[in-house]
Amino acid sequence: MIRKNKRRFSAAALVLLLVPVAGAGFFAPYDPITQNRDTPLAPPTPIHFVDQHGRFHVRPFVCRWLADDPGGVGTREDCSQTSPIRLFVRNERPVEGQTLNPSLRLFGTDPQERIFLLGTDGYGRDQFSRLLYGGQISLGAGLLATGLSLGLGILAGCVAGYFGSWVDDTIMRAAEIFMALPWIYLLLAVRAFLPLNLDSRQAFLLLIGVIGVAGWARPSRLIRGVVLSGKQRGYVLAARGFGVSTASIMRRHILPQVSSVALTQVALLVPQYILAEVTFSFLGLGMGEPRPSWGNMLAGLQNYYILTAHWWMLASGLALLPIFLLFYSFADSLQRNFPDLDLAR
Amino acid sequence: MRRRGRRGCIWIWIWIISFWLALGSDAVPQAATGNEDVLAVAGDIGRRGGRLVASLHSDPKCLSPITAVDASSKEIIGLLFADLIHINPYTQHTEAALAKSWKASPDGKRYTMELRHGIRFSDGSPFDADDVVFSFKVYLDEKVHSPQRDLLEVAGKPIQVRKIGPYEVEFELPQPYAVAERMFDSVRILPRHLLEHVYEEGKISQVWRTTANPAEIAGLGPFRLKQYIPGQQLVLERNPFYWKVDPSGTRLPYLDEIAFLIVPTEDAEVIRFQAGDIDVISRIGADNYDALARDQRAGAYQLQDLGPGLEYNFLFFNLNEVDPQKLPDLRRKQEWFRRPEFREAVSAAIDRESIVRLVYHNRATPLWDQVTPGNKQWVNPAVPQPPQSLARATALLHAAGFTRRPDGVLVDPRGQAVEFSILTNPSNAQRTKVATIVQDDLSQLGMRVHIVPLEFQAVMTRIFDSYDYEAAVLGLVSGDADPNPEINVWTSGGATHLWALTEKKPTTDWQAEIDRLMRLQTATLDYRERKRAYDRVQELVAQFDPVICVASPHVLVAAKNTIGGFKPAVMGDYALWNADQLYWRLDRHP
Amino acid sequence: MIFAFTRRLAQSLFVVFGVSVLAFLLTDLAPGEYFEEMKLNPQISPKTVAALRAEHGLDRPVASRYALWVRSVARGEFGYSFAYNCPVWPLLRTRACNTLVLTITALFFSWIIAIPTGILAAVGVGRWLDQFSAVCTSFLLSTPDVLIGLVLLAFALHTRWFPTGGMRDAGHVETSLFAAGRDFARHLILPVMALTAGTIPLLFRHVRSATLDVLDSPFIVAARGHGISRTRILFRHVLPVAANPLISLFGVSMGTLLGGSLLIEVIMSWPGLGPLLLHAVLERDVHVVIAATVFSTLFLTIGNLLADVLLYMADPRIRED
Repeated sequence: MIRKNKRRFSAAALVLLLVPVAGAGFFAPYDPITQNRDTPLAPPTPIHFVDQHGRFHVRPFVCRWLADDPGGVGTREDCSQTSPIRLFVRNERPVEGQTLNPSLRLFGTDPQERIFLLGTDGYGRDQFSRLLYGGQISLGAGLLATGLSLGLGILAGCVAGYFGSWVDDTIMRAAEIFMALPWIYLLLAVRAFLPLNLDSRQAFLLLIGVIGVAGWARPSRLIRGVVLSGKQRGYVLAARGFGVSTASIMRRHILPQVSSVALTQVALLVPQYILAEVTFSFLGLGMGEPRPSWGNMLAGLQNYYILTAHWWMLASGLALLPIFLLFYSFADSLQRNFPDLDLAR
Repeated sequence: MRRRGRRGCIWIWIWIISFWLALGSDAVPQAATGNEDVLAVAGDIGRRGGRLVASLHSDPKCLSPITAVDASSKEIIGLLFADLIHINPYTQHTEAALAKSWKASPDGKRYTMELRHGIRFSDGSPFDADDVVFSFKVYLDEKVHSPQRDLLEVAGKPIQVRKIGPYEVEFELPQPYAVAERMFDSVRILPRHLLEHVYEEGKISQVWRTTANPAEIAGLGPFRLKQYIPGQQLVLERNPFYWKVDPSGTRLPYLDEIAFLIVPTEDAEVIRFQAGDIDVISRIGADNYDALARDQRAGAYQLQDLGPGLEYNFLFFNLNEVDPQKLPDLRRKQEWFRRPEFREAVSAAIDRESIVRLVYHNRATPLWDQVTPGNKQWVNPAVPQPPQSLARATALLHAAGFTRRPDGVLVDPRGQAVEFSILTNPSNAQRTKVATIVQDDLSQLGMRVHIVPLEFQAVMTRIFDSYDYEAAVLGLVSGDADPNPEINVWTSGGATHLWALTEKKPTTDWQAEIDRLMRLQTATLDYRERKRAYDRVQELVAQFDPVICVASPHVLVAAKNTIGGFKPAVMGDYALWNADQLYWRLDRHP
Repeated sequence: MIFAFTRRLAQSLFVVFGVSVLAFLLTDLAPGEYFEEMKLNPQISPKTVAALRAEHGLDRPVASRYALWVRSVARGEFGYSFAYNCPVWPLLRTRACNTLVLTITALFFSWIIAIPTGILAAVGVGRWLDQFSAVCTSFLLSTPDVLIGLVLLAFALHTRWFPTGGMRDAGHVETSLFAAGRDFARHLILPVMALTAGTIPLLFRHVRSATLDVLDSPFIVAARGHGISRTRILFRHVLPVAANPLISLFGVSMGTLLGGSLLIEVIMSWPGLGPLLLHAVLERDVHVVIAATVFSTLFLTIGNLLADVLLYMADPRIRED
């Protein structure tokens, strides 16, 4: 009972978190690439209800942010200029490369003012908008890579587990080789050989595709284990005895057993591949500037001191935590026990 | 009678042996003996003793001056060995080192140097002209393939060396060379007594790897190798035979030891500096500098912003001749790149002030040509430095036949949208940021720019081998304040003429003029004439933009307050160039 | 039995060989070479670069280079590092030892903590210990290694209780063995904590899952029905059976001994295989990369083999097969 509730809860929470990401065109107040060079590294804009004269306003408002001194890098608040927070503002300019470009945005302020819910980065770009738009890339990458590696893994695992003997041996040794190789070289090579005029988004997705394909080894071993034990079940032996074709047996008896494991694997692999995207951005193989992704937003944080001075830059890293937690708890709820993730047999 | 004599004998022996031991020990300051040709250096008079802890970003790859090319190795080698004539990084002028005096022949082709008498290597063996001749023989030997050989060539031919006396050598140059003196800097003198037989066996290029026994290495530098633990630390100890003394006659160096910790990332380095493990950092990035400045009240360290060094970061377009079959797109775009108005418009559109402010936190100087204000001898202040002007850029593009469509996209005279890519290397975060700002600036002109982050090796391959790139952001650090080491960059046919490696002969008038001026300043001996020529080169670079220079980051160093004699320079080894004169002001236990 | 074991051994050797060939090909695929970087230096001529390349055999075809490498392996050198100008093996050996000290200590502590916690959580399933550990491990599992490492470093900096990186303090090499050992242990604490924090969650889950599986089985229910005490059931009946998947897991975690700590080593400046490999990859010091890959594969296959052997010895059911 608790488990069922947990499953529903985590699934619902995931969907809830994913909606603003998918609909970034509506939920984000600004586009992710406009630079506001006067206000780099500005902290989250405080929302006020009481203005500097002490009057209370029902509608919350924000003050203007200025550069500390014209040549400097600090910023400060100037409450002599205020602007209210409005809902359903008109879209200032459409973001290129987006399929949906609604004419309205959920919230914003006056056209010349800015509200930075999560502060700005080193170029003055709104972190909150970048978080939402960037989530599209990172989550999309995670799902794509998971789909590819799981699909291939299921294929390889089923074949290996069902047919056994030398087929099994070959596939498992190949899996070991795949797990051992330094794939970083292949990725560097692929990235380096791509034509220069490829859109950075396409280049990145191609890379993610390569990772997904190369990652078939781990899920395949798991699936193989399930198929091996499933093969011994009474009804499968009976079906074989009856002369049912291999394909039919696979489809009707083996695959359903695999599917529950596969679903759990999805919930576990997606966070891993999102993390892989973060790692690639550290190495510079990720999404190119100026498009955001959670990975390249975090990559700018390699400097520990930015963390202490401008903690809001951690936004994308902190966004990862609840998403991972939800994925893992969803995975847990699907299983009677926690799954056996990686066993030799 | 006999017994008393024996007792007396024993005491004499004890006295002799202890005297001999005292002579051999380092603890006793070695006063310079009368027949040693020491060099008295000006500066503070410091206290002997203590250990300094510095850091390296990677392991030194080898300790042999013959084959070392990477920065870490060169830093250590600089402390272990000495050269004949040394360029003082602080004053940027040459000064006498192992050669105590020299004179040039009237035709400028022969340099006779008198070496210091009576000085010894770190293992005690004497130094003389044979060591100098041997060292140059090794460096110039073609079969050894030492990178040093390229530095000892004038107009493509190597210099020659001849021994005249036990402490006198003569160098002959194939043609007069304006800065022949500066050529000898960093050409380290090797110990003939240790290496001659290795050279004769043909194994000289494998000598002195990092696994070498410290006893096998001997040099004339202020320190000698004590111990190396790979991946962790390298410890140097005082060279008791070092040939420099301070104004009071005490033999240098003051420090007993220098330890280099190997810390791979700058962040870890700064953290350890704050924790007190490291005493001096030679180069910090701007954000770490700000972070340290914030905490400076708590710590007991000093930070120094030395202004621009010799590094210049720039954007350049691919102007190589490429095969139209293989790279048709590039060929088409090069029609834009080759127009000087196009490049000038790009240069005018770049907001250098924002770059300095946002990328370098105001710790950089904007540049319009390749010589930074840190190079006081050679900078040309008369080069125009126009601020960002989109209006001027648009006017220039208009004059070149580019127009803007109603949707804002810039098109060339044929009607094709102006779109190109800029290569960057993400391991240098600052250059990537420069590219991002440039991209945004150019989008205001209607150009669509992609940033392509490629790993460093891939960038190198595209620039040097396949020429398959459109534009790139790179940076170079001049090896010396003098323009001569840069000749390969600016003359056509030079090996590092990055934007046009296929241009073996000048294809434009201004490039021909640059070639002529660079060759002129190599041969002329008069500084004023050379300065005029190089000033003109800078003006041409700023006007015709073979590279569009953007900014030069400042040199930022940090050190503990109690280090005496700390005088960082913008050239060479910023913090430790005068390691032999550094000392601890208060009493400090290692 | 013996035949199956020999067959596995042969296959594993084949895997190692296959990996070496593929790694060679793969490193050839990525553009760039070690000496490429020198071209950017205006003071080194192309002639010198070409000569250096020829000296190290980089201008030869792949097959010839592979043959040279195999010969060097036979000599015990495992290739030649362009960067360090020395054979790869001594370089690799020291760094690998440093890494192994770290990972073995971390593995030891992870197991020591995970086993009792997992068992207790399984025994008291659904109660506060179980929920609490589930939350903790989920949290740890979701936090990237990078963040854990950085947080620990920040902690070390602010409290000054721990050294902020490295393996030893500067210049403490002359002191006594005891002091050196203590210094070494101090430096070991933080990286081990970071690594353990990364491996405990998974281990805990496996232990818990294995124990839960066993606790459900009929013979345990029967034992409890017989009135046998809980402790005796736990140690005498549950553990041996639950150990089955854990043994295979132990074998597999041997495979991660060399590779799993790369990020932590880089962040904490631990002089292990991680930083060496990273620099080698970025600089294209290919022989170091290939040797490190082959060694990791060796560990991986030995780990799998060990897991199979241990399983065979521990589980009578498999022996029956």
